Amino acid sequence: MAWINQNRNALISAVIVVIVLALMFNGMSPQTASSVILSGITLAALYFLVASGVSLIFGLMDVLNFAHGSLFMIGAYAGWTYYTNPRLLFNTGSLLLALVAGFALSPLLARFIVLPRWARWLAFLIAFVIAIFSVRDFPIDKLVAMGMTMTGKVIPTAEAQEPMTTMLMRLAGAFLAGAVASAGIATRSAERRAAPMQQTIALVIGMIVAAVIILLAREPGEQFILQTDSNWRFLMAMVAGALTGGAIGALMEWGLIRPLYSRPIYQILLTLGLTFVFDQVVRFVWGPAGAFMEIPKWFNTPSKDCPSDNLWVWFAQNCDSVFIGGRPFPSYRLFIILVGILMLIVIALLLQRTRFGMIIRAGVQDSEMVEALGINVRRVFTLVFAIGAALAGLGGVVAAPFLGVYPGMAMEFLLQAFIVVVIGGLGSIPGAVAGALLVGLARAYGDNIVLAGIQLPWMKDAISGSPAIARASTVLIMAIVLFLKPTGIFGKKD
Amino acid sequence: MTKSIRDHLPYLLLLAALVVLPFAISFLTGEPLNKGIALFSQGLMIQVFILAVFALSYDILMGHTGILSFGHALFFGTGAYALGILVKYAHWSLPVAILAIIVIAALESFVIGILSLRVHGVYFAMVTLAFATVAFILVEATDFKQWTGAEDGLHGIPVPDAINPAIHRTEFYFLALAFAVAIFLLVKLFVDSPSGRVWAAIRENEARATSIGFNTLAFKVQATIISGIIAALAGALNAMWNLSATPQTMEVGTTINALLMTIIGGSGTIIGPMLGAGVLQLLGYFLNLWLGSIWQLVFGLIYILLVLFVPYGIVGTWRVKQLDWRAAWRARFARVSK
Amino acid sequence: MPNILELNSIQTFIGQFHILEGVSLSVAEGSITALLGRNGAGKTTTLKSIIGLRPPRDGAVIFAGTDIRGRRPYDIAALGIGYVPEHRAIFRALTVEENLKIAERKKGDLARRADFIFGLFPDLKKFIKLSAGQLSGGQQQMLAIARALVPDNRLLLIDEPSEGLAPILIEQLMTSIRSLSAHTTVLLVEQNFRMASQLADSYYLIDDGKSVQHGAMKDLVNDRATIQRYLGAAQA
Repeated sequence: MAWINQNRNALISAVIVVIVLALMFNGMSPQTASSVILSGITLAALYFLVASGVSLIFGLMDVLNFAHGSLFMIGAYAGWTYYTNPRLLFNTGSLLLALVAGFALSPLLARFIVLPRWARWLAFLIAFVIAIFSVRDFPIDKLVAMGMTMTGKVIPTAEAQEPMTTMLMRLAGAFLAGAVASAGIATRSAERRAAPMQQTIALVIGMIVAAVIILLAREPGEQFILQTDSNWRFLMAMVAGALTGGAIGALMEWGLIRPLYSRPIYQILLTLGLTFVFDQVVRFVWGPAGAFMEIPKWFNTPSKDCPSDNLWVWFAQNCDSVFIGGRPFPSYRLFIILVGILMLIVIALLLQRTRFGMIIRAGVQDSEMVEALGINVRRVFTLVFAIGAALAGLGGVVAAPFLGVYPGMAMEFLLQAFIVVVIGGLGSIPGAVAGALLVGLARAYGDNIVLAGIQLPWMKDAISGSPAIARASTVLIMAIVLFLKPTGIFGKKD
Repeated sequence: MTKSIRDHLPYLLLLAALVVLPFAISFLTGEPLNKGIALFSQGLMIQVFILAVFALSYDILMGHTGILSFGHALFFGTGAYALGILVKYAHWSLPVAILAIIVIAALESFVIGILSLRVHGVYFAMVTLAFATVAFILVEATDFKQWTGAEDGLHGIPVPDAINPAIHRTEFYFLALAFAVAIFLLVKLFVDSPSGRVWAAIRENEARATSIGFNTLAFKVQATIISGIIAALAGALNAMWNLSATPQTMEVGTTINALLMTIIGGSGTIIGPMLGAGVLQLLGYFLNLWLGSIWQLVFGLIYILLVLFVPYGIVGTWRVKQLDWRAAWRARFARVSK
Repeated sequence: MPNILELNSIQTFIGQFHILEGVSLSVAEGSITALLGRNGAGKTTTLKSIIGLRPPRDGAVIFAGTDIRGRRPYDIAALGIGYVPEHRAIFRALTVEENLKIAERKKGDLARRADFIFGLFPDLKKFIKLSAGQLSGGQQQMLAIARALVPDNRLLLIDEPSEGLAPILIEQLMTSIRSLSAHTTVLLVEQNFRMASQLADSYYLIDDGKSVQHGAMKDLVNDRATIQRYLGAAQA
């Protein structure tokens, strides 16, 4: 009884949703209904991967990350690049790592020098000039163009790659730029002074060594990656996307959002600005056009028996589609659903079964008190930000063979994730699941209707539209939920 | 009286400079008003005026009422498209179309305000962004191509010859300037009115404003409507200037532009966002010349540095510094007199 | 007895407001010291300044011989300071057990201290699997104190433990706090003067953000004029 009372809102919403679904699918053939539902769940899985991060981050640290869609996009591009041709990643990743290593010096520098205000600006300016010089004439366009044309092939030449000595000099430049800039941000706060020196030194050296190794191993590494079969390569691409997302997320929190906890409005102004920056970066590096990503062999093995008759047979055949509910359904989309469910389980286990999860749940309510118990909440914040970003990055890679990669995906998924969290309630994982399912199903249903056309009894012709209409219509659900229960179905925070 | 003249002098000087500007440039370059640099610089300034009004409308929410909207492009785009559709396809005359735009923008901002203002702070930003993005998707959709032109935008809006910027650039320059000045005065009027003081109370502490007995939702909706109408008017003028309405007017980038101008200039200062528009537009022009297409990226980075290090903008920082100086002077004076 | 904690004229701001304008006090190891004063005098802010949630801009906070001013709260707490905030601030969504577990600084802290804690608060053992939000107000208060006892803390900062509790519960709570003082030092903020006077060995009076008077508790009990002046007529 108590349980029913506690979850009354959720139960009522569930009943309403079931009724609405029943009405929606009323009059649809079971084949159509099952394929619409499966498509809906596929989308829901992707929305969940983005929305859960938004929700977790907001729940814990009250930061609404407008750049979360961008992390999804960056993850997709990173995974896609890894899969098709990782040469770009080797050449740029090492430079970025060196730059970050320079930045990471700041707690160390803070012990020795604290610059006056004007000198800080000077430091930034010098760092900027060094950075410009160290990437001058970097053949990024060639690297990208090669990656796009030579998809998945081993390229024996050193084409588009600069000689190792040049690259090492660029690496040194990037590190120097980071170090000079870090002198600009070094402040005499007690926290930085308290940071153990050995730890900082080990971190910086570790990053530099890693950067150099990445650079030195660029050719054998590339060969190795391109020779693995497409399934493993794809799995590794997922890891690469998640890692890239997570690393960028951690850096964002540490470098940009943390200094602004006392000015919360500016945090979201900043994240909105970042969406713009990421968008521009992607357009600059990969161009505005976008690209398709190949579906790994496991879900794309041609044979005369395709599509597979059922899921069981599919395991032997690996067809690109499989009969479910009387209609062939793309098998790769089932994989997307699987990833979504797996991640949901991982998040649930993390939150409910680990000490880290316990700290997050406690921090959602009162992070000050958690800190007063002796727990380094700042570090938890950074980790949760990284986890949320990694989920988005993973989602991006998983989405890429389904939707392709294109600069617009950031805004599109940010929008859907926002609609999801508004519906489900910010800070609630069950809410994110419910919202994602609702929006995903509505989207799939809308797509179906829009293609088939609507013909109400008094109409002469059916009205049909473009998928854009279905995309836009999900906002209607948000408007309804806002009108009825502004905090969302599961939301408690106002 | 002397004090008020001293306070208003910078504004009057700025206005005088803007009135003289086209003629001064024409005089300096020796070209007529409708040729070369003189013509071009007027075009640049017209854009500044339009964006200044847009930024000002944004600041009514952000700076004066403390509402953070991320969907302001919606209103700007609404103005642009409504003007285009009404004038080009419905063949309405321009003044009637503009009256209609005021009504449309008022209704639209009322609905969005009522729906979104039920939630606070970041929620509002998120919800408005969602609405604006949906509007962007819709104007780009092929379904309404016959009216919106889908991705290409709506081109060839007929504007009466007398103020057609392609024919009478200088007339349009003064139209845009007059528009900016009028809106500036109007907003000043609003901000200094009793409503404006309630807005400020909401910005400072909404809970307290509610407990004093104000219906804060009503005042916030009011601010949203006023801001929405002004933004739509700026959008309409933008459509007249370009003779077209494009999906870009609805994009998030447009909202970020407004934010950027407000932050550069200093939010909550009325003149700040307008100056911000000038800085942004002129800087953007030269950066574009210098850096090419990467200038937008540089812009984004500048924005982030500003948010991190110069949160009060030009005018805000100036005023804070001025207060500091005054305080320092006073302290010094007090010490001497003791 | 040596002093485990010394505040040396700390200055604390909240936003632009100067809340503490020079609070100095010293707490002897093993004692119970009461921090008294009117509402808004700055008692809670003093505790928050010690634990680092409202770091003082100036002055010194010396714990066990080292100045901890300006360190992050987690760093300060790890030195052995337990904080029991006002309004309890237990984690409602967590179970009672999780509320205790989260306070562990080393694995097994709770198991090691279980007998002691559940000896003091048998109710908590009974409801160990319940979510903390379902406990009664008194039980939540006990949970908040118990949480501070899980690690080996040398100093407990307890803020308004009697707030909102029925008299019979207050008696119970007093017994518990008294038996605590055998193990740790307690700095207690308490509105209920009767309770404070029966528990504490010594007192500090805070008024308008400054520490104004201190001494042994038994002297204050008879000093009606001081009580009336700083705590109000109702307490006298």
